[in-house]
Parts: sequence; C-alpha cells; structure tokens
Amino acid sequence: MKITSIRHVRGFDVARPISIGMMLGIMLPLVLLPLLSIFVYGFGKGPGMFWSSLVAPEAVFALKLSMVTSFWATAFNVLFGLFAAYVLSRYDFWGRNAVIVTISLPTAIPTAVAGFALLLLWGKYGMIGRYFSENQQIMFTPYAIILANIFVTFPLAFGVIKPVFDTMSRSLEEASATIGATRLQTFWHVTLPSLRGAIVSGALLTFARAVGEFGSTILVSGNLAGRTQTAPLYIFAKFNEGQIEAANAIAIVLALLSFVIFSVLFFARDWLEFAQEA
Amino acid sequence: MIAKMALAPERDPHISWAPEREQPSGVAASVRGVSKRFKKSRVLEDVSFDVAEGESLVLLGASGSGKTTILRIIAGLELPDSGRVILHGKDVTDLPARERGVGVIFQSYALFPRMTVEKNIAYGLKIRHTPWKERRETVDRLIKLVQLEQHRTKYPSQLSGGQQQRVAIARTLAYKPQVLLFDEPFGALDAQTRVHLRREIRALLRQVKVPSVFITHDQEEALELGDRIAVLNEGRLEQIGTPDDVYNHPASEFVATFLGAANLLLGVAAAGFVEIGTAKLPAEKETKRFRDGQSVKLVFRPEDVCVSQDANLPEGCRRLTNGVIEEVNFVGAYERLTVRLDLTHRKGDTDALYEVTINTPQRMTGVPIMVTRPKPEANALRYKSGDRVAIGLTSFSVLPNYTLVRQR
Repeated sequence: MKITSIRHVRGFDVARPISIGMMLGIMLPLVLLPLLSIFVYGFGKGPGMFWSSLVAPEAVFALKLSMVTSFWATAFNVLFGLFAAYVLSRYDFWGRNAVIVTISLPTAIPTAVAGFALLLLWGKYGMIGRYFSENQQIMFTPYAIILANIFVTFPLAFGVIKPVFDTMSRSLEEASATIGATRLQTFWHVTLPSLRGAIVSGALLTFARAVGEFGSTILVSGNLAGRTQTAPLYIFAKFNEGQIEAANAIAIVLALLSFVIFSVLFFARDWLEFAQEA
Repeated sequence: MIAKMALAPERDPHISWAPEREQPSGVAASVRGVSKRFKKSRVLEDVSFDVAEGESLVLLGASGSGKTTILRIIAGLELPDSGRVILHGKDVTDLPARERGVGVIFQSYALFPRMTVEKNIAYGLKIRHTPWKERRETVDRLIKLVQLEQHRTKYPSQLSGGQQQRVAIARTLAYKPQVLLFDEPFGALDAQTRVHLRREIRALLRQVKVPSVFITHDQEEALELGDRIAVLNEGRLEQIGTPDDVYNHPASEFVATFLGAANLLLGVAAAGFVEIGTAKLPAEKETKRFRDGQSVKLVFRPEDVCVSQDANLPEGCRRLTNGVIEEVNFVGAYERLTVRLDLTHRKGDTDALYEVTINTPQRMTGVPIMVTRPKPEANALRYKSGDRVAIGLTSFSVLPNYTLVRQR
C-alpha cells in the first residue's frame, strides 16, 4: 500500500520516529514479548530437549487429533458456508435475514457456553443424547471435538464467501445459461472458479480458529490424554503438571502454524483478490 | 490497443455459422404482442415485430424505454406477462434460456474470467459434450474468423474491450445460435473504438449471416448497424422501418426528435396546405390524410431547410415564410444557422392552434428554427446575423397533433 502523507513538514519530522516508537513500545509487552518468550524458553534447554518433547507419543497424538478434527470441521463448514451463501444470495424468503443473523451468531457466543450447550444436547442425559445407547454416545469422543469445532467456527467460511456471491455479476451466470448450460454446469464451470479465493481464505480462517479452540473442547472432549486430548488441551494439561518443556514444544508448533496460515492469507492476498475479481 | 481488423481476409463459403434448419422460413425471430410489468410500472406494452433471416434489427430507445427487457424476454432471461416469442417457427415462450439456443452479447461481455479465450469459445460445445476433435476445429475456425490467433491462450482481463467483444461473439457463434442479441454492445467503449468496432461487427455479421437484434440508445449507431430500426418509447413501439424510412419519414414526433435533430411547428391542415400562423406551406400529398382544420405538427430536419437571400428558392423547395438570421455557428462538418421565422399568430385570432412551437413571449417576435448547411454551400454564400432570408423546405413530415387536442 502506498502511503501519502497528510501534511507537508519542513525538514525533519519529529512526530515520525516518536509515533512509530510509541506504537512498537505498546505492542512489545502485550504481543511481541509473549510470542518471543515461547521460543526463548522452548529452545532454552537445547534443541534436543525440544525435539524429545515434541515426539513424545501423547504430544504427537494431540497434534494429530487437532489436525484431523480441525480438518473435518473445516471441510464441513466450507461446504455448508458455500451452500448457505448460494441459497441466501439467490433466493428471497420469509425470515431470510433472521437466518443470516443466526449463522453469524456462534462468533458472539463464549466458547465455554458453546461446549456446555453441546453437552446439554448430546450428553448422556441430554435432549438427544439420552436416546443413544451407552456405546453410541458421542460426547467425550473425537466426534464431540469436531462438533464443537464446527459450532465455534460456523460463520467464518460463510462470512468470507457470502459477500463474494453478493457482488458477483449475475450476467456471467446468465451468459452461461443462454449458452446452454444447466444450473449445475453453470455452478461448476462459472460460479465456483470465481469463488476460489474466497473458499481458500475461508478454509484457512476456519482451520486456524479450529486448531486453537480450547473453551468448548475442554468441556466436550473429556480431555483424556492419548484419546481425546487436542494440542491446546495438551499444553494446558502439561503446564498444570509442571512439565513446562512439554507444553512449550507444542506451543511453538501451534504458534508457527498460525503464523504460516496468516502469512499465506496476507501475502497471497493479490492472488486471492484476483480470484474474487469476477 | 485496438487491433486493426480488415475483416474477412478469406471467405469460406462452406462454413455457415447460421443454425441449420430444414426449410428457411424467412422469419428468424418473432415477438408477438409482448407486454410486461414490473410491480406497478408498465415496461412493455403490446410490442410486436419480426426479425428476418440474416437481418440485423436495431431496437432504439432511451433508457427505460423497455428495450433491454425485450432482449431479455427473447433470450429467456425474463418472462413476458403476455405475448409470445417465436424462434424459427417454434414457440419458445415457455422454454428456459438454455434451451432456446440464442446468443447474447452482454454489455459487459460476461466472459468467464477464469477461462482462456479458447476455453471461453469452446464452452458452449463443452457443455454439449461435443467430441474433442470437432470442438478443436470449431474453435480454430472461430478464432481465425474474429482474428484473435495471437491471443488464444490469454485471459479476458488481458484483452482490450474490442477484443473481449469479439471473443463474446465467437463464443456464441460456436453453438450456431438461432439469433444473436446484442445488449448495448458499444456502451462501455470510447467514441473512436465504438465507430471502429461497429463497422467490424457489421462486416462480421454480413459474413456469418446470423439474424441479430441490437439494442442501443445511440441514433448514429442505429442508423449504421440496422437493416431496420425499431424505435421504442416508454414500452411502446413507435415505428419500425429501414433507416431511410425512420429518418426521413418519422411516424411520430418522438421518432423525429430522437433520431436526429428536428424542428417542430404547430399548424393546421387546410386544403392542401399547412397553415402555420400567417404562413402557408403547400403540402398536397402530406396533408391528404387530414381533414381541413385539423391540428397538425410540421416536422422537418435542419438539413432540409433551404435559405435564400432573394425570393428565388431552388427547385423542389417549397416556400414556407421569411426570416431573419439570428446566429451563425460553424460546427465542424457543417454550418448551423438559427433563423427566426416571421411567424406570428394571425391578428384577431385567439385560437391556440395558431400558436407556433414555443408559446412564450417569442411568439410575438417570431419562431426560431435550426438550419444546417453543408460546407461548400456555406463557403459559397456567407450569411451574417441580421440578414433577411426566404425559407423553404425540401422535405418534411406532417403529423397529427394529438397532444394539443388532449390539452383542449
């Protein structure tokens, strides 16, 4: 982005270094130092220690579980977001706005509340869960984690895809129809390619958010090491047990992962925006 | 950049892009009594016209005249409230757009941004599951036809407006459309490109012989592109005819003023003459359909006025009255005169019918009209403001004056 100055200043502009310095000064203890400290402590006892903490079976399991559950939650939410965005931008019906608000609601709900709500519905004595037999229960299994992830990341993909749908020129789809394409062909060949950027960024956002989910997961998963313990839960558990190095190794991996995802989102913006142009 | 395009370097008489059908019926597309309302406003009212085989018809009208709606109804993107659309003898009114086989060239071209030029053109064949080899051959021929050989693997965003438009045309020709529909095809282009492109398209259409319908609000474009022109005003078809017909014999005041400049005087028909205030214009043929005393409008084009400083008007020029040159403007290709006619309403005559065009204070001092003269004539004989001249008309139309009747 090109920056144009608001005002011309003769000679040296004192406000410039002062304001930049102030900004960084505020950010330092609040954001930068905490992140830095993960890396400083993580490698404090040498890379050997870091590595052995990382490859501990429980740690590997926790990371894997986080990836897998986040993946399925992302897959579901992107598909549903795409479908909901299509329906809501193509059809007008009574209560349409209410549906849009409802889809967006989960962002505003505290994650602990979300987890609690899921327990009340699916738990052993829950509204639906009570009709399930003992070995069909889904709470305190990896499926519960996926459900929790779906709930808390529900509006993210939809929120990115919907505006692109709304601004997309109808004449592309009309052109496709006059050329002879069915609705499905039009969607596949014309609509979907134009949504590529939105789908990718929606998926990345959803995944990043799901991997870090803690509040709802801790309630619905049962936090059983090696069975339903995700990476954030692992960090919390190990920290409580006093195994700082074990917690730290996973913290570094999660921090790097989110760093990578947001770099992709930020630097691939040109590509993503091009994809959304149409 | 606009690629220079001398069209049709090599004509292949064996390839036709027009749809194949058993018996040519003469009429390619037919719109029968189509009406359409949006909520409370009436957009189209009982519009009917035919497009002949290989013909290009221009729908001309201001924005809001309903021309886009007609196009969308023919394409199947909009449903008429009543009336039928018939393509090559088949009633398609109830068919969805994709089963009609029409080609629409949208104002924005609507090229698929994620497909190359080749893929855009092949799209219609791909979704029809045409064999790969045939698809390839058709695309090759079309790319050659619209002269985009060097651009075949480019994306639409890498092409100029004119090139994009040619891709859009080729994309529709690929599946041999029943009729081509152009929605303000030059609206998004600058003036120079526009003139250039419409000549290209005209030449291209002559070559492919696909019947086409254009919509535009630009009268110059209409005159140049259309074999026939249909003038629309507020959802009604005012006149349909050849450019010559519509321009020289406008059927209504709207047509006269929308298609070029026109002077308008109010008068009455009286025994083979049109009486305008104190002046009498011989018009035996033109007033035949009016009864004596009927209120009429006299419509004539600025270039159909002859001006003379002596009383001798050239052959074929019917004398109207005298006037005073008020203003002389040189506007490039021709000279424009404002002449104030010696027309006042008759003494003692209070009938409003005898008032002339603008019933403002000017009616006491005469009526201004616009006259244009070609350069050679203007150079041969210069006028200055204040010169007294005789005014005659070589050609004019007499139209019924319904408005005034209604006002009374």
